[in-house]
Formats: sequence, structure tokens, C-alpha cells
Amino acid sequence: MHELGIVYEVIKIVDGFVKENNLTKVDTIVLEIGQLSQAIPRFIEDCYPAAVSETAYKDTKLEIISLPANGKCKLCNEVYNIINHRKICPKCNGEDFTLISGQEFNIKEIVGY
Amino acid sequence: MDELKIFTINKNIHEDNAKVANETREILKSHNTYLINVMSSPGSGKTTTLVSTINALKEEMKIGVIEADVDSDVDARTVQNAGAKAVQMHTGGLCHLDATMTRAGINELGVEDLDLVFLENIGNLICPVGYDTGAMKNVAILSVPEGDDKPLKYPKIFSKVDVLIVNKIDVMEHFDFKLDLLEERVRKLNKDVLIIPISAKTGDGIDLWVNWIREEMKVR
Repeated sequence: MHELGIVYEVIKIVDGFVKENNLTKVDTIVLEIGQLSQAIPRFIEDCYPAAVSETAYKDTKLEIISLPANGKCKLCNEVYNIINHRKICPKCNGEDFTLISGQEFNIKEIVGY
Repeated sequence: MDELKIFTINKNIHEDNAKVANETREILKSHNTYLINVMSSPGSGKTTTLVSTINALKEEMKIGVIEADVDSDVDARTVQNAGAKAVQMHTGGLCHLDATMTRAGINELGVEDLDLVFLENIGNLICPVGYDTGAMKNVAILSVPEGDDKPLKYPKIFSKVDVLIVNKIDVMEHFDFKLDLLEERVRKLNKDVLIIPISAKTGDGIDLWVNWIREEMKVR
């Protein structure tokens, strides 16, 4: 269970951005979490309220965009979800792929003023 | 009320961790200290392997160990008795070490007079590999009783390490563990990994492992 540590890191980065840009309020934090990022969106959502309580972000909403674990087949260039297809290309049954998304854990944007 | 605006940040959450880890490597280099991150499941023999390693190398270099556990200091005492300088870190339930925690361990240990430092990470095959600690090299230990199917179940750790130590080969005959099958599965994930079968208990294979350390430290 490492999601709480990750949420603290998110708050730290957002807080840095807020101070740097003299914002007064953050309405929403938008995260992009890849399916292979080792962070589970539901757990992030669960521990978020605890992490922001007693901070300036206690009323800030959290929005999570899930990014698929997509691979591109090295044989036929088909793009497919490697989790759903168990790493095997659904078009040509190739097992070699280049990962093109899924490992992200980004703070995409914040909404505020 | 002011109008809401969207501010694009697009910052990877691990960016700060990577920065701290890179700084750690620079600090260690300036002291001529080599840091190896050791990861495995609980009970694979990390501490026993380190004790054998310390015994093999302590006449030729000064060694330190940063022990990380959720609780207790039993491991730090064990490696200290073997002749290494040791500190025990407690993560208080957290399942991995990040670069900042590692740095705290390095500061507490004091590495100026040390040639080689091992970071004994939390026993866990999943989370630790997601964090750059600032180590020069990453090593995983898999023990025979855990089974040769672990690379299939926990691919990430096997795909990222520089060395895979296969420990407890002295009990191989009692388990359904096929070394060649393990190697085949690991190579699919990581073709360059060095696989070293050892028994930390009997000392079998330890020479290959410590020779690797010697060679790596020569070119540091």
C-alpha cells in the first residue's frame, strides 16, 4: 500500500505550483494514471481525503484519468491493450511489442484561480 | 468569485524522486562509495546473503548496510555482528523506499569512510522496483522455495534489475524448481541480466557474486 505516499507527493507538487503562480484556490487536481503505474486509482481516491484534511486543499476535488496499457506490435504495428490481450497481439499473435502507454503517473493539470 | 482556469502541469509524480536519486549518486561518487539496492520477497535470504558477502569482502573494503523494515532492528544487529557499519530504517508500514528515505539512511549511516553500501530494501517483489533509490546497481534475490514461476507473476522487478541472485540452491532437490526454466523466463523480460545461483548458507556461488561486485567497483 504505497498510495498514501504518492498522494502526499502530488499535494507537495501542486502546492509548489500554487505558490509559484500565486493561485488562491485549487478547485480540482487532475491526475493521469497508467494501468501499469503500480498505483490503483480507487486506492488513490480512498486515501486522498485523509491526505488533504487539515491542508489548504481539503475542498479540492480529485479527478483521475486512467490511461490504458497499450502496446504496439513489432510485427504488424497493431496497437492493443496488453493486459486485456495478455501481451499477445490480437491481429497476428505476435508476442513482441513496444509499450506506448500505461506507465504514466502524471499531474496533468489543476483547475483553480 | 474569480473564474476557474486550467493550469497545465504535466509533471510526472516521480520526477522529484528521480532528481533526489541523481543527487544521491553524485554525493556517493564524491565519496567514492558504491551503493547497491537489494530487493526480494521476505524470507528469500537478503540478510544471510549480505552476511556472506560482508564476510567475503570485509578484509579488502569498508562496508555499510542500510536496513529497511517495517519494524524491528534484528537485521541491522545481524549485519553489524558480521562486521559492517549498519543503520536500521523503519518505514512504518510503507512498502518501499524512495530516494528521500534512502538519502536519510545514507546521512544517518555516514558514508564518507565506506567503500560499499548495501541498501536492504523492504521485502516485497512489487513496490520497491518502482522507485529509483539513488543506487548505482539494482539486485534482486529469488530463493528456490519461492518457485521458478515468479518472473511470470511479478515481471517488473525481473525486468529492471542488473543482477538476479538465485538463493538457497542447496535445497533445490526438495523443490520443483528448474533453473533453466527460470532463466528462460527471466531472459524474456531482461536479456542482459546476470543470473548468479548461490547458497548464502553453504557459501556456494558467493565467489561469483563478490567478483561481480569487485569488477563493478573497479569501473565506477
